[in-house]
Amino acid sequence: MRRVILAVTGTIAGLVALLSFKSHVPSVPVAATTGGSGGSLSSSAPSSSSSSSSSGGQTTTVPGEFPQGSLASKLTAGETAVDGKAANTAYGPVQIQLIKQNSKIVKVAVLVQPANTLHDIQIGAFAFPKLISETLAAQSGKIDAVSGASYTSAGYIASLQSALDK
Amino acid sequence: MPVRPKNRPARVGARGLLAAIIAGGLVVIALWWHGSLGVHGLAGWLTGAGEILGLLAGYGVVVLVALMSRLPPLERGLGTDQLARWHAMGGRYVVSLVVAHALLIIWGYAVGAHTGVVSESATLLTQYPDVLMATVAGFLLLGIGIVSMRAARRRVRYETWYYLHLYTYLAIALAFSHQFADGTTFLGNLAARFWWSAMYVTVLVLVLWYRVAVPLRSYRRHRFEVLGVKAEAPGVISVYISGARLDELDAEPGQFFRWRFMTRSLWWSSHPFSLSAAPGSDVLRITVKNLGDHSQALARLRPGTRVFAEGPYGALTPADSDRGVLLLAGGVGITPLRAIFATLPGQVTLIYRASSERDIVFRDELDAIAAARGATVHYLVGSRNEIGGDPLSPRVLRSLVPGLDEQDAYVCGPAGMTAAAVRALRAAGVPRQRIHFESFEF
Repeated sequence: MRRVILAVTGTIAGLVALLSFKSHVPSVPVAATTGGSGGSLSSSAPSSSSSSSSSGGQTTTVPGEFPQGSLASKLTAGETAVDGKAANTAYGPVQIQLIKQNSKIVKVAVLVQPANTLHDIQIGAFAFPKLISETLAAQSGKIDAVSGASYTSAGYIASLQSALDK
Repeated sequence: MPVRPKNRPARVGARGLLAAIIAGGLVVIALWWHGSLGVHGLAGWLTGAGEILGLLAGYGVVVLVALMSRLPPLERGLGTDQLARWHAMGGRYVVSLVVAHALLIIWGYAVGAHTGVVSESATLLTQYPDVLMATVAGFLLLGIGIVSMRAARRRVRYETWYYLHLYTYLAIALAFSHQFADGTTFLGNLAARFWWSAMYVTVLVLVLWYRVAVPLRSYRRHRFEVLGVKAEAPGVISVYISGARLDELDAEPGQFFRWRFMTRSLWWSSHPFSLSAAPGSDVLRITVKNLGDHSQALARLRPGTRVFAEGPYGALTPADSDRGVLLLAGGVGITPLRAIFATLPGQVTLIYRASSERDIVFRDELDAIAAARGATVHYLVGSRNEIGGDPLSPRVLRSLVPGLDEQDAYVCGPAGMTAAAVRALRAAGVPRQRIHFESFEF
């Protein structure tokens, strides 16, 4: 019995110690570099002139209720597409594209998102719609991160800001 | 003169093995640390904990199989009974890790994806690669764990327990692929995948080598056969086994082999039985108490039956020493000590605990050996009530064996008796490192 208690408490104590050391989150490097690292999926970009989405080069669209892939070819009159820079997060780069009409943000599309695991995709499917609707409401880069998706949010906001700065 | 092999194989002691297992665990944790991207929020904590426990479980099953791989340095250093105890203890721990891993991952992923636990479980099972297989594996391991605990309490037949344990190999195989397919630790870390696979392959090779190839090779070399069966006492029989070139086995008195008798009813499992006489050059003797279906069937063995033998195993092998030696046997635990008693040089005392006069095996042989070498045998016979108190008390031991605290003690008997005897010896002043014991229930 003493061994059981020792094993259980030892394991839990070890886990808590490890995880709390690890929870000192490393700052998300929001590098201005496009692409490269990890296995992020870039969404399909049909004959877009935009320079972006150079990472990976796969053309899978992940499930999720939000625009994925460049909308540059589907613009209506008066709309312009602005690509943000790819922002590296710990889980892979995030890159977004703004569609503006008369300097008003009317759409946001996700060009590149972390999709190493199904878990990444689940989180993206949950977080991006919220981030996009926040962006459309705020019309600026000053939006809140989505809880439970802090890395994705940070990458999104960084890429959004770089598009707004253009 | 005692038979003593010239070059004893390497031994790994309990401390060394424990240190190695813990060091391996730390490497596994370092692997997680290296691969983890940081822990954030409740989902991060739950998922992180789930990942660590999963990795430890993946490492743990390998350790558990390695403990049972019959690796000679382990068998010599710790002894099979201690390895089996470690395996049982570790098995419970690893099964708990597996269960906690599954629950934490489901919960953590559900929190991260903002879904319910039930729908997240369904997503994990149906959409994450290989998770379904791993789930089957998890339930297999859990079932085996539960049955083993019941087997330890003698509520499940040995045969059931044995067959079920074969499914652990299936479970390990089923659970392997999800570790790479879903584990963030191994994602994009080719070196980690390589070394992790190498660990699994190494243990697989050890098991195949020491549990399959070595016994086959040994059979080809030694051609073991049943020579005859002799009744020793009610329910106790000796089996004589002949073979060629037995001196090459380097077997020592006190050791045992795992025997597989090739008859229709016995071939499927091997059982450990000690040598009850010093190994000869062309004949070995084992003595078996009638404990179950298997031992009963042994009484009907016919001469000429082929036998596969794995061994020798066992760490109950006294080294020559200037100190006196006490041999303490309980019940059929006399078998290895009988072999030691006949061969060990120096001053030897044998204490033989049996529950009734009828249960004493080898009385004539023991008395003859004692007379020939001028050693003493004490028979402690009868239940506690008949004797009047515990016969294995420190006081009784000291009075039977003058200078006990200066001696080495070797104990073999049922688990309960062995534990009681070791406590009594400690209380009588024998240092821990001079008490050697093996209980035969494994």
